[in-house]
Order: sequence, then structure tokens, then C-alpha cells
Amino acid sequence: MIVKPFSEWFRKNMSIIGPILITIVIIVIFQLINPLFLRYQGIITLVYAMSYFLIAACGLTFVIMMGSFDFSVLSLVKLAALLCVLYIDKIGLWVIPLALSICVGFGFINGLLFAKLKVPSFMATLGVSVVVEGIALYLSKGFLHIMSNRTFRALSVTFIMRLPSIFYWAIGVWIICTFIAIWTPFGRRIYAIGGNPIGAMLSGFNVENNRIYVFMLSGFFAGLAGILYMAQFGGGSIEMGADMMIPLFASVVAGGTALTGGVGGPQRTLLGVIIITWIQAGLLMLGFGRSIQIVIFGFIAIVMGISTIDRRRIKIIK
Amino acid sequence: MKIPNKKKLIPSIISVIIQTIKIYPVTLFLFALVVLFASLYPGKFLTPLNLSTILRQFVSLMLFALGPSIVVVTGSLDLSYVGIWMLGGILVWVLMPTLGMVSILVIPLLGLATGFIVGVIQAKAKIPSFILTLSVLVIYCGLTGIISGGISRSVRGYEFITRRWIPYIPTAFLWTIPIIIAAVFIMKYTKIGIYLYAIGSNEEGARLAGINVDNYKILAFTISGLFTGIGSVIYFQNQGGSVPVVLNLNTMVWPLVAIVLGGTPLTGGSGGPQKTILGALTFTVLFRGLTLSFIDPTMIQLITGLLLIASIVASSRGSKGVMIT
Repeated sequence: MIVKPFSEWFRKNMSIIGPILITIVIIVIFQLINPLFLRYQGIITLVYAMSYFLIAACGLTFVIMMGSFDFSVLSLVKLAALLCVLYIDKIGLWVIPLALSICVGFGFINGLLFAKLKVPSFMATLGVSVVVEGIALYLSKGFLHIMSNRTFRALSVTFIMRLPSIFYWAIGVWIICTFIAIWTPFGRRIYAIGGNPIGAMLSGFNVENNRIYVFMLSGFFAGLAGILYMAQFGGGSIEMGADMMIPLFASVVAGGTALTGGVGGPQRTLLGVIIITWIQAGLLMLGFGRSIQIVIFGFIAIVMGISTIDRRRIKIIK
Repeated sequence: MKIPNKKKLIPSIISVIIQTIKIYPVTLFLFALVVLFASLYPGKFLTPLNLSTILRQFVSLMLFALGPSIVVVTGSLDLSYVGIWMLGGILVWVLMPTLGMVSILVIPLLGLATGFIVGVIQAKAKIPSFILTLSVLVIYCGLTGIISGGISRSVRGYEFITRRWIPYIPTAFLWTIPIIIAAVFIMKYTKIGIYLYAIGSNEEGARLAGINVDNYKILAFTISGLFTGIGSVIYFQNQGGSVPVVLNLNTMVWPLVAIVLGGTPLTGGSGGPQKTILGALTFTVLFRGLTLSFIDPTMIQLITGLLLIASIVASSRGSKGVMIT
């Protein structure tokens, strides 16, 4: 029988085949509805929509792989973007290391609260996120700021081989993240912590420090995403919205990284980001607003969250 | 009851005060804040108008924080309250022309249904509750946006809910009292409350002791949804019969601050609605005092965040043995 091994193989690799099938279905549906979807202009739109998202989602993936959650990613994206636009005239391109180091600093605070002070990661990062939003509100006074520095904007909008440079940044970050997760001892440790924290502790490495490093990594990528976001759009206000955290989270789980940790990884997040941002772009092309988008992403987050969790391994979930 | 003689009266009062501070450490903070603000702004802080404003803000915080604090006792988290309020409010606007005055009941029903569905999904499908309820919140906000068409709609006809009976005391506050008493009664004097505390302190132990943990978790979410629904009716009219259509981070975070500041640890097992009352009152006094002060208004959110972090850290002390994610 040839059917049986095939179905077994299918079931085994469901978490990787599922997202690919969803991606193909999305492309076909939107291509049928709107023939401009796969033209050059449409592809550029898709690439722009997914790039900064992919960078931020890669950072979040590490945290979710570890079994924790980072609510502050989007706030840090916002803060980094705002720091760039506010201080580019005063200190030039030094804003980039400044914004990155501030974001890594907040990631460090997240990690410290979570690993050392034993605060549940969701609440710790929610608190930090409120503080970060408060700082952003204080700095911007709620106004819209426009970025006029051309050198800075060239970071994202230089076209190489007919594609914007932010796309290459995103792919580069994705490759580095995959490399870290699969081939470095640090990456394997993250999987170990996500799979079984107590076992990881007993195997002899410092779980607390590794947790702090992961949150710092997440902060770093959030900062990078913020800088490139600002270079891409050339302006932005503080009102990016708290509800946009759900698409980011949905893109990580839609790729197949389980909320309980230990499974998945950045290599899968690429597919998740493609699914989410392409649905978003497709809906925008069809003329649907943000309300419908967040309803759909909320459902995706719940459904994918339920379907990726491995229920045999866990007994209690809060 | 035996009345203590004069020699023992003062030490017994002191010991009562010490006991209160031990159980509710936030009373000390509240007292310090009141003294501080009353001495900083002598003509402004202790006026009837300001105290009535504090009561109004306390009510709006308390109505949202009451239900979730029951869920937090079990160690889970319920963030869907703002969503129930927003979607419920807009459904009242939709149903008003056909159903008339009865349509206000849609808010408690929505709360009940939401709580039940969330509870079933959380208990049976085992998805972390904060992600689940956050998704529900976002879905409800999106639905509110779709139904309302992006404009805030107002409903008339329910003014009797908040008509003033007693000068200076907001009627919404009078409505809140029985709701608070009901919540405290459930958590303190019924089997349900005791089981929920047991689940929060040790879920595996509660299961081994023969408690049907899944059913009681579903019940906790359902009660929380119902309380949020009932509270939303009052808050809905308190805000002039309309709801916003865009989610604001502050509306979502402030009730959490009240719960955590009151002393309910997020790992569950202790605390409850009675502590949340003090947390909400303290936060309201602090917020009001900051509003009166010369601090830049944009700084207030920053201070709120710092307060949230500080109170979570303080409340999660002593939970070293618990595995956290």
C-alpha cells in the first residue's frame, strides 16, 4: 500500500505542510479576486508589508520557543522608530546604535524581571510595555513626526535587483536567527529550556542567564525592526495601536511554534509572517479595513494556538 | 461581645492595625498617599468635589477589576473585560430600535456567554488564558469597529441608572456596592470560592482531592464574565450611554494594576475581590493626586507602568517554588 506511508508522512510533517498549503491557498484566492496581486507592484507591496514584521517576529519566536511571552516587542518597535526620528538631526546616524542599545536595555529589564524576580513573563513585559509607551508618549507629545534624512531612509528603500533593501535585511536576519536556533549551543539551550526548564537546569547550564539573553535578543530585533520601519515609512506617530500585537503573535504561532515552547523556531516563522502579512495586504487590496483584519487575526491566533500545543506533555496550564 | 477595659484598649487597637497592615499592606500606601496629597494641596484634595471625582473613577476601575480578580485567584488571567463592554455597548445600540428598553440585558448575557466560551476553550483545549482572552478582546474590538462603522454611537433612555439620589455620591457607586458584596460573598463564604482558592494554590493537589478542576475553572470564567457584564451596564450609562470604538492600552491595563496593587499575586491562590477594592482605591487616589500636581500629563502613563511593575514584583515575592513561564 502506498497510501499508508504517505498519510503517516503527512501526519508527521503536518506542522510544516499546513502553513505551506495555507500560503498557496491565500495566493490563489487573492490572485483570482485581484489579478494585480502577483504583478511587480503587488509583490513590492507584499515585501514591504512583511519585512519589518519578519524581523520583529524572529525576536518574538525565540521568546515563545522558550515557553515565555514578550508583550513589549511592538512598543519597542515604536520607541526605536521614534528615537530615530527625534534625534537624527542632533546626533546623525549615531541614533541607530542609541536606539538599539536602549531596546536591548529594555529587553534586559524584561529578562531580569522574569528570570531573577520570578514575575510571569506576560505581566512583566506588559508592565515594561506600558512604561515604554509612556516614554514614547512623553518624547513625542503625541505628535506625528516626519523623517527627512535621506541617508537614513536609504537603509530601507534602496532598490537592489528591483527589490527594496529592507527585504534583504529581513532575509539576512531570518538566516542568522535560523542559524542561531539550529546550529549554535545557545539555540539548542533555548529549545531545552522550552522543552523542560527543570531538566535544563539539571543538565548544568545557567537557565536564568540564558533567559535574560533571549529577552535581550528579542529587544535587539525589535529595535532593528523599529529603525528599518522608520526608514521605510519615513514617519509615524505613537498611535500604532495595542491591537497590532495580535498579528505579530499570530504570525509566530501560524508558522508552527507552540506556545508551550520547545517546538518550532525562526525557520517556521517566515511562513507564518507570509501568511499573516499577505492576508493583511490582500484584505487591504480588496478594500477591507483594520477592524475586519484584527477579527480574522484574533481567530487565527486562537485556532493556531490551540492546534500547535502538544497536550500530552503538559498537565497544567494557567 | 466583651468590651476590653481601658488599659487593654489601646494595645488591642494597635494590634488590629498591625494585623490589617500585614494582610493588606497597601492600606499603608493608601494612607501615606492621602496624607501626602492632603498636605501638598490643602485647598484642592479634600474637597467634596474632588472626593466625588475619586469615587467616580474608583467605580469605573472597580467594575472592570472585580470579575478578573476572581479569575486571577485561580492563577489564570482574564483580559476580555474591555471587549465585553465595547461590543455589548454597540449591541445595545443595534438592538435598541427593535427590542426597546430590554436590550440593555444584552451586555450581561454577552458577558456570561463570553466567560463560558473562554472557560471551556481554556479548560478543555489548554491554551494559555492570557493569549486566549487577549485574542477575544481583540476580536470583540474588531467586531465593535465593524458594527459601529468606526463612529462612537450613543444610546438614550437609560439615564435612570445614574440619576443622582444623594448629593456628592455618584449613583454608580451605590450600584457598585451590592455587586462588590456579591463577589466577596461568593469568594469568601461559598464552596465555589474555597475551591477556586484551592485550584489557584495547587491545581494538581486540588484535582487529587477530588475537585473537578475543569468545571470550576469554567465556572470562574463564567462568573467573571457575568460580573464584567453587569458592571459594564453601569459603566456604559456612567459614560453617557456610549462606548469608544478603538482599543486603548490604558483601559486594558488599569484594572490589572488595581488587582495586582491590591495584593492578589498573579500565580493565584490568595487575594481576591476584597483586596482589589483597596487596590482600586489606592490607584485612583494616586491618579487623582498626580492629575492635580504639576507633573506633565504625558508622564502619568510612565508612572502607571512603573507602579504596575513594582506591584507585580512585590506581589510575586515568596512564589519561588512555582514554575513560571
